[in-house]
Amino acid sequence: MNTREIMVLTIICIISGFCLFAVHNLVKERIEKTENTEMIRLLSEIFPSSEFAEENGIYLARSKENGELEGYIAMAEGKGYGGSISLMIGIHKDGTIKKVKILKQGETPGLGARITEENFLAQFEGKSVDEVMLKRDGGTIDAISGATISSRAVVEAVREKMLELAYLWRSAG
Amino acid sequence: MKEFTKGILKRNPIFYLMLGLCPTLAITTAVENALIMSAAFLFVMIPSAAIISMVRRWIPRNVRIPSFIVIIATFTTIIDLLIHGFLPRFYEVLGIFIPLIVVNCIVMGRVEAFASKNPVRESILDAAGMGIGFSAAIVVVSIIRELLGRGYVEIFGYTVIPSFTRSPIGVMILPPGAFLTIGIIIAIFKKKGLLKGV
Repeated sequence: MNTREIMVLTIICIISGFCLFAVHNLVKERIEKTENTEMIRLLSEIFPSSEFAEENGIYLARSKENGELEGYIAMAEGKGYGGSISLMIGIHKDGTIKKVKILKQGETPGLGARITEENFLAQFEGKSVDEVMLKRDGGTIDAISGATISSRAVVEAVREKMLELAYLWRSAG
Repeated sequence: MKEFTKGILKRNPIFYLMLGLCPTLAITTAVENALIMSAAFLFVMIPSAAIISMVRRWIPRNVRIPSFIVIIATFTTIIDLLIHGFLPRFYEVLGIFIPLIVVNCIVMGRVEAFASKNPVRESILDAAGMGIGFSAAIVVVSIIRELLGRGYVEIFGYTVIPSFTRSPIGVMILPPGAFLTIGIIIAIFKKKGLLKGV
């Protein structure tokens, strides 16, 4: 490489760097804001009339009116048939499930991807840890036919997270 | 004008040059993804070609490829940031395929083969033609895949083609569906003699 080649490339990189710096500064706030509102939107779908405060990755839902604790929301990951499945679990303060939502999944469309359907997810509502198992494993959740791996991944992820939370609460007194 | 129209049909980047197949396979599962991808792609392709054509005389031969990549990467990163900020829903779906426009063979190929050797006006026309050719191709492929694979076409919340079947052909949404669709389209084009040199 001669000096001229190095100079040209350096100048191009510097100009590019400045352009990106400027654009990044412009949209930075916007990106943070959309991610924040997106999170709150998702949380509100589980506890519609609550405000949220994060504590060690767990969201505490408190009533907007009197500030009373309504429940908790935690994130969990499961290992599905097509990669990881991330989900959100809302739990009443008595330890039963309020709602389970799938945030991201890469399961087979028409089969495993049906874990996002209301029919499947509604089964979790009101269940306690001991009931969150597939029927064939001795629990109360019906697997989606033809998609046992995906169904089990969701059930296991929910169950593990609930056990973990229960442990945390117990040790916290 | 020839520079503009050649990319749209005769030398369509996907159906004739068969470049950029990777994003085509990945994002044509829904028409709206294809539309956003097309917009992002044009946003990168046209200014990159224009700027590279403008500075083509100052860039020494030996460092032209890294220079082109830096310029293309700059525009790609800008559009990536904008989509992240303003269209978060699509940022999720299109994910890695927006940053990958940098190494999209169509952009790199046209810049190297055309913009680095031709005046600005022609370069812009060439880039626009190729960009629109790519966009048209992915939109057509995605319409076919979404229609057959999901049974209806929905764009930004509006149902464009209502559901006509209760048992859509699921495989069309999967990667093999993209290969089948592209293969059949190329076969039809060849049969009709629409592509150049066939």
